[in-house]
Amino acid sequence: MTRLLNDNTPAAWLMVLPAAVGLGAFVAVPFVLALVLSLTDLRLGSPLPVEFVGLRQYVRIFTDPSFQRALVNNAVFAAVVVPVQTGLALALALLLNRAMRGMVVFRTLFFMPVVFPMALVAVVWELIYAPGPGGTLNSFLGAVTFGWWEPRAFLHDTFWALPAIMALSVWQGLGFQMVILLAGLQAIPEQLYEAAAIDGAGKLSRFWHVTLPQLRNPLVFVVLLTGILAFRVFDQVQILTRGGPHDATTTVMFEAVTAAFTRQQVARASAMTVVFFVIVLAITLAQRMLIREEREVA
Amino acid sequence: MTKHRFGKLFRRISFLLAPVLLLSLSACPRQERPPGAPPGAVVLTVWFHSGREVERVTILRQIEQFNAMQDEVHLLPNVIPEDTYNEQVQAAAVAGDLPDVLEFDGPFLANYAWQGHLRPLDDRLGEEIYDDLLPSIVEQGTFRGEFYAVGTFDSGLGLYGRRSRLEAVGARIPTSPGEAWSVEEFAEVLANLAAEAGGDAVLDLKLNYKGEWYAYAFSPLLQSAGGGLIDRTDYQSADGVLNGSESVRAMEQVQAWILQGYVDPNIDDAAFTGKRVALSWSGHWDYPRYAEAHGDDLVLLPLPDFGEGTRTGQGSWCWGITTACDHPDEAARFIRFLLEGDNILAMTEANGAPPARRSVIRRSPLYGPEGPLRLFAVQHEEGYSIPRPRTPAYPTITDVFERAFQDIRHGGDVQAALDRAAAAIDEDIRASRGYP
Repeated sequence: MTRLLNDNTPAAWLMVLPAAVGLGAFVAVPFVLALVLSLTDLRLGSPLPVEFVGLRQYVRIFTDPSFQRALVNNAVFAAVVVPVQTGLALALALLLNRAMRGMVVFRTLFFMPVVFPMALVAVVWELIYAPGPGGTLNSFLGAVTFGWWEPRAFLHDTFWALPAIMALSVWQGLGFQMVILLAGLQAIPEQLYEAAAIDGAGKLSRFWHVTLPQLRNPLVFVVLLTGILAFRVFDQVQILTRGGPHDATTTVMFEAVTAAFTRQQVARASAMTVVFFVIVLAITLAQRMLIREEREVA
Repeated sequence: MTKHRFGKLFRRISFLLAPVLLLSLSACPRQERPPGAPPGAVVLTVWFHSGREVERVTILRQIEQFNAMQDEVHLLPNVIPEDTYNEQVQAAAVAGDLPDVLEFDGPFLANYAWQGHLRPLDDRLGEEIYDDLLPSIVEQGTFRGEFYAVGTFDSGLGLYGRRSRLEAVGARIPTSPGEAWSVEEFAEVLANLAAEAGGDAVLDLKLNYKGEWYAYAFSPLLQSAGGGLIDRTDYQSADGVLNGSESVRAMEQVQAWILQGYVDPNIDDAAFTGKRVALSWSGHWDYPRYAEAHGDDLVLLPLPDFGEGTRTGQGSWCWGITTACDHPDEAARFIRFLLEGDNILAMTEANGAPPARRSVIRRSPLYGPEGPLRLFAVQHEEGYSIPRPRTPAYPTITDVFERAFQDIRHGGDVQAALDRAAAAIDEDIRASRGYP
């Protein structure tokens, strides 16, 4: 082991400096500020003196049924979207990871939703989910079930609204995960498959014993990232449902943004973001402990 | 990476960065006098919302005219997108960067005035203009006894209808606010229209709109029933008013229309222009589209009367002078210029809104005695319109009411939804110590 301090120490500090300044200014300082603000009663633009109120903002948000529902919604969203999106991304990556004429076109097509801004995606899906028999999805389901399907107002139905948001989120985010897994697949040495084939491994067992273990790091990364993004859901909710119906699609981010910018309650929003940060941190730590990413030890 | 390649990369980057640095250096010294400003002129910054193109073009042209016609005051216009207008104003206030003359949406007036961003206009408009203003414009501009801001136009809210379909079901067609349909009569008209249409939706409530629409369009209905968004005697509590029996009864009516299938979800904003429905609950801004779609078949009706007479919404963008302005008299000169009859007429012909001055209304082809939108003007002149609550708590009130409306729309218990809304408003007022 090298000594903790040696001749290279000043240079090392110098090289760390830009990253450290960035992290400090854009991560540490805002977080500490949010923590401090959440203990006050600060309101945007209020001429009243700011007072220290202790944990009152936290008591308020945890007794607010909308915020409670937002926490549950985020948990459900993550629990469904992370496995579904990762699974589909893996399936797509496997499908597109073969030498075939015109493969680039398919890869581009599947990646395209990632490039579209969420605002555009949401408007398109609003038309897909349009209520009544004339709505795209309703008429499609009506046709494939020979009229058995009863038209629904997907975004205005307490049961269907959250799944509807999930489906469009999966569709939109899928391409990104796919590309990462595709890169992972292409990095797997061909010899491993050849060796496995010589050992008499079938297609399925080559997948289980070669592909999956080799894909471990990209998969861990994808699951972690999807998990964190799942807690940040905001755009689609803001555009499509505004948290409704009956808070069925509200999220922590949506509640925080509404509190801060619509109602000017900065302190309350700060408390929400602190809770949000703690949750994301806890998930990240838990995942790191459960599935340790294998690192190439230098 | 080798040293050589690194050096090459670095040179390339600095090559790219050099012009950027030069540009930022040259931009540094702040220009005291903008190009085109006459020497010795007072320079004032003006913020206004981008709005529709016709409005933007009209304001910009009027600012140019003002700059050209005299050389004591020079205006620097700044167009701000309206989606984040309030956020930009709040940020500018924190940074000490407020403009001299600020245009803003009427319901925010109380909040800005309470935050200390606005300077009272006092008697800078002069009696001739002040006495000519619509009562609704004066009401909107007044907070706690001081007159802070003035709009060059108001807004109008009512029911657009298709005469042919109303006549087909034998409905009475009211022509003045006093003749508005009672709520029972309205329910009957809806039922008859729906039967005639074979069960299809017949009413458009603009359920596709988001945000301010709900407080603007449906709080008049609470007022008409004898309820409201908040107790207006001291603006300290919504409890017992927003969730009182009158407001609950009114919102139960609205819920009934929606749950009975009378209301079109209007996702494409074409329920009325596409001839799907016979009635549309909307404002002056839809008139050009509606007139084009229906021509002579279009009628304008007052909103239904829930017991205390019909009530309607009011208020729109208005002009004020901020506390950052050192030359309020010069700023007021610009506002007086905007309020000149011809300028109001130019603006309201461009955007279709009701003019703010009675003398201009008489000259307006849309709002004059024979104008198709006469009803909107009459509603304001005869006191049927009610301003949204003038309290700094308004940003919370409008957000909370929108949520309550959505819950009610989706079939939730009306009393429970309004109870929750009233509690959230009261909590906000208490948290700000009653907005002293």
